[in-house]
Amino acid sequence: MDLTVRAGERVAVVGASGAGKSTLLAVANGSVVPTAGRVQVLGTDPAGLTGAALRRLRARVGTVHQHLELVGPLRVVHNVNAGRLGRWSAGRAAWSLVRPQGVEEVVAALDRVGLADRVYDRTERLSGGQQQRVALARVLVQRPELVLADEPASALDPALADTALELLGELAADTGGALVVCLHDPALALRHCDRVVGLAAGRVVLDAPATELTLPALEAFYGVTR
Amino acid sequence: MTAPALRRDRRRWTWGVGALVVLAWSLAGAGVFSGEVLNPAGLAQFGRFAAGAVHPALDADLLAVLARAALVTVAYAALGAGLALALGALGAVAVARTTWGRRRLGWALTRGALAVPRGLHEAVWGLLLVNVLGLDPWVGVLAIGIPYGAVTAKVFADLVDEVPRGSHDALRAAGATRTTAVVYGLLPAASGGLLSYAFYRVECAVRSAVVLGLIGAGGLGYELLLSFSSLRWPQVWTAVYAIAGLCLLADVAGRSVRRRVASPAPAAAGVLRRDPVVTGAVLGTVALIGWSAWYLALDAATLVGPRAREQLGYVLGAAWPPATDGDLLRRVLVLSVDTVQMSVVAIAVALAGSVALAGLAAHPGPGASTGRRAAGVVVRLALVLLRAVPPPVWALVLLFVFLPGVLPGALALGVYTLGVLGRLTAEATESLDPRPRAALTALGARPAGAWLVGTAPRAVGPVLAFALYRWEVAIRDATLVGLLGAGGIGVLLSAEISSFNWPAVATVLAAMVLLTWAVDLVSARAREAVR
Repeated sequence: MDLTVRAGERVAVVGASGAGKSTLLAVANGSVVPTAGRVQVLGTDPAGLTGAALRRLRARVGTVHQHLELVGPLRVVHNVNAGRLGRWSAGRAAWSLVRPQGVEEVVAALDRVGLADRVYDRTERLSGGQQQRVALARVLVQRPELVLADEPASALDPALADTALELLGELAADTGGALVVCLHDPALALRHCDRVVGLAAGRVVLDAPATELTLPALEAFYGVTR
Repeated sequence: MTAPALRRDRRRWTWGVGALVVLAWSLAGAGVFSGEVLNPAGLAQFGRFAAGAVHPALDADLLAVLARAALVTVAYAALGAGLALALGALGAVAVARTTWGRRRLGWALTRGALAVPRGLHEAVWGLLLVNVLGLDPWVGVLAIGIPYGAVTAKVFADLVDEVPRGSHDALRAAGATRTTAVVYGLLPAASGGLLSYAFYRVECAVRSAVVLGLIGAGGLGYELLLSFSSLRWPQVWTAVYAIAGLCLLADVAGRSVRRRVASPAPAAAGVLRRDPVVTGAVLGTVALIGWSAWYLALDAATLVGPRAREQLGYVLGAAWPPATDGDLLRRVLVLSVDTVQMSVVAIAVALAGSVALAGLAAHPGPGASTGRRAAGVVVRLALVLLRAVPPPVWALVLLFVFLPGVLPGALALGVYTLGVLGRLTAEATESLDPRPRAALTALGARPAGAWLVGTAPRAVGPVLAFALYRWEVAIRDATLVGLLGAGGIGVLLSAEISSFNWPAVATVLAAMVLLTWAVDLVSARAREAVR
C-alpha cells in the first residue's frame, strides 16, 4: 500500500470489515509497528523514536478508537482530560483525578457534542452513543494535528453523526492538519470528506476526490467489497 | 454552557474518611507515633537467627525427624479437610436458601448458628479440644474440621443458591421430587465451583495443620517450636524451609487442579472423557484421608468414650455462666480494641505493599524488557515466600526486634497478608482489558500517567474488595498471633485456659465471636460501597 495524506485533507477510508482500515489507523498513530515498509507521521517515522520524543509525536496524533477505550469507572471529565495526558506531568495527572483540572475547556468540548450536563457522571453509566461523544470530546481537548477516527458515528443518530464529523473536520482545519476517518456510511463519507480511499484485503483499490464519486457508485463499491 | 457542580459520592467518601480515621487510630494504638516499640537488645539474637538462613541444619537425623513431622502435618490436613468437607456438605443442606425457600427466619437462624464455629480460629478450637480429649490426634482433626466445616457449609450453600433456577423449576413442574430436582437441576451447574472450593480447603488445611503444630499438636509446626525454644537457629531454618516448601507445594498443586476444574480441556465429540489429573486428584485425596486415619491411629472410640463425655460435661458445666466481673470485661474490651487495631494495621501494610508492587508483580505483556521480566520473577517469588510462612512464624521472628505488643503482631500478619494480597492485586490488574491504557499511550501519555488514568481506576474496586476479605481473615489470625504472645485478645485466652478459668474462657470466646462477626458485617457493608 502506498498512501500519502497531505495537510488540510479530509480522507474517508472505506471498505469491508477486515479490509485493514483499523490497522491503517493503528500504524498511523504508532501503536502498531509495520513489519515491512516505511511510515512517516507528521514528517517523522515513529519507529525511529523512543521516550519523550515518541510521546511528543504521539501527542500530535489524536485517535477516536472503534471500541472507544474509555475508562468506565472514571467520571466523564477525567476521560476527556485524558486527551491532555501527553502534555501533563504524572503529578498533574494524579492531582487531576482528585481535583479535575481545566474543567472549563472540558465543558466547552462536551458542550460541542451536547453532553455538558454529564461532565461529572461516571462514564460507564452513559449510553453507547453518549460514550462515543465522550471519546470525541477527548480528541477535541487534545487538539491533535492529525485526527484519526474509526467509525466515530456508529452509535449516533443521523443528526448527531453529521455534527460529529463536522467537529472532527473543523478540528483538523483549526490545527492545520488532516482528518482520516473510517466510515461504513457512504453518504457520510461523501458529505464530510474531500477524498475517498477504498481498501480491500489490505490494498488500496479506490482513491478518488469525493466530488468525482456519486452516492450510487460508492454504494456499488461497498457492494463489491462486501 | 452550564456545567453541573461536582458532587462527590457521599457514601464512598464517608467510608474512605472513616477508614483513614480508623487507620490513624490503629497506628496510634500500635504505638507507632509514641512509645518504644523496638527492642534493641534483641538485635544481636536476631542477627544470629538471620545468619542461620544461609546454613540451615541438614544432618540426616534432623531431616528424618522433619520428614516424619511433615507426614503428620499432611495427615492432620487431609483428615481435617475431609471432615470439613463432609460437615460442609451436610451443613450446606441445612443453611441453603434452596432448602428453606421462603421461610426466612429458619434460614437466618441456621446461618447465624454458623457464626460461632466460624468465628473461632483453628488454634482456639485446638486449645479447647485438648482440654476435653487430652492429647489425642482427634484434637488436630476436629480443630481443623469444625471451623472449616462451618465455612465450607456457607460457601457450598451459596454456590448452590447462586445457580439460575430455571432448569430446577422446570424439573419440579414436571413432577420431579425436590431432591431429584436439586441433583439434576442445580448440582451439575454448581459442581465445578464446589470441587474447586473443596481443593482450596485442602490447600488451606495444610497451613492450618502447621499452625496447630505451633500450639503443640505435633507435626512440622511443633518441631519448629521445639527448635525455636531451644534457640537452635540452623534447625529452626530447616523447619521454616520445610514448612514453606510444604505450603508452596499445596498452593501450587491446589491451584493447578483448580485451574483444570475451572477450564476443562476440550474432549472429542461423543466421548465421555474425564480429566485424568482431576480424577487422580480426587481419588488421591480420598486415599490420603484413609491413609491419614491409619497413620495417626485415629480411634472413634475416644471421641464418644466415657472420659471424653465426662470431661466435656465438666468443662461446659464449669464455663456456664460466663464470668461478668467488671475487671475481666474491661480487659476483654481493651484487648479486643488491640486486636482490631492489629488487624487494621496489618491490612494497611499489606495493601500499601500490594499497590506498590502491583506494577512489577503483574506478568508483563509481550515485548517487555529483560530487566522488567527479571524484576517480575523476583517480586513474585518474594510474594510466594511471604505467604508460604504462616503468620505465627513471622510473629516469632519479629518478636526478636520488637517489644511484645500490637505492632509485631500487626507486622507479622501484614507481611503474610502482603504475600496473598500482592498476588491478588497483580492478578486483578492483569485481567483488565489493556486497550484503554494502550489508547492513552497512543496519545502520548507517560507510562505513569497512563497507568494512573487507564489502569488504576478500574483495579481500585476489586483490590479494595480483596483487602476487605483479607481483613476478615486477619481478625481471626490476630487472635492466633496473640496465643503466641504477640499481643491482643489471644494472650488473655491462653492465660485463662492455662489457669482453667472456664467462666472467663467463655467470656473471651464470646468476645472473639462477636469481634469476628462485627468485622464481617463492616467488611460486607464497605464492599458494597466500593463495588
